[in-house]
Amino acid sequence: MLTEIGLSIIFYLLAAIAVIAAVGAVVSRHILQAAVHLVVVLAMSAGLYLLLGAEFLAGVQILVYVGGIVVLLAFAIMLTASAELLEDRPSQGRKLVGIAVAGLFFAITLLTFSTRALPPATPPPRAVDDTVALGRMLLNRGPTGYVLPFEIISLLLLTVVIGAIVVARKTPAETPADAKGGKPDARLL
Amino acid sequence: MHAFFKLGAMDMSHWLALSALLFSIGLYGLLTRRNAVGILIALELMLNSSALNFVMFDRMLHPATVDGQVMAIFIIATAAAELVVAIAIFVALFKYRKTADVTRMNSLKL
Repeated sequence: MLTEIGLSIIFYLLAAIAVIAAVGAVVSRHILQAAVHLVVVLAMSAGLYLLLGAEFLAGVQILVYVGGIVVLLAFAIMLTASAELLEDRPSQGRKLVGIAVAGLFFAITLLTFSTRALPPATPPPRAVDDTVALGRMLLNRGPTGYVLPFEIISLLLLTVVIGAIVVARKTPAETPADAKGGKPDARLL
Repeated sequence: MHAFFKLGAMDMSHWLALSALLFSIGLYGLLTRRNAVGILIALELMLNSSALNFVMFDRMLHPATVDGQVMAIFIIATAAAELVVAIAIFVALFKYRKTADVTRMNSLKL
């Protein structure tokens, strides 16, 4: 019982920080600040994964999201010179639409699962080692395995790496002549 | 309203409410941001909240298997892939249009 209360306190703490940081991430006028807020949300999510007993996933979350994706976002912010620009305040109408749509979505979702009985949660005991089970499942060729999606996602990541290089590399025409006002080469766009 | 306000991290509806709230916040950001990178940040919020749901359902309903966690891993990988492509496009676009404002990206020609 005591552990349940403790877990609940941790849950509410993580959830509150995550929600506050998420609001900061979408309303902050400095984009770099928004990215830092995103880091907080993602770290809190990693904490929630830990709370759910998904240790491996929490590690992946920190490594890939906080270590990789957010750094990438920071690069993007620098490369598009968004860091020194202050984001415009959204116009009144845009804000209204945003609040209406997001609020409606939240209300409908909340209504949906609060008015119907959710299946009872099974008690927590879990003997299997999650990380081992996860590895076995990802590379299992049986009917319950995920080896095909795993291979597809590997291929997707490879394609993405090549695609990113092709799209974002310096184009051949981007020489000093181009900097003086020559027409940029559009072949690669 | 079965036990909706029951205190406890073991209550599914609290987790669902949290991820719905995070998703809604992301949706708001998606609709109000003008900066392309800001939109991507909002998008990451939404993807993250859906991954949280998968892990939560996996834990609460099928603790013996890890299918939900596998889904979460795929979501993270796909999110990374999507982000890389989007950033590459925006950086390339910024070279030519000198803007990251999506409301001004309204032409397919240069």
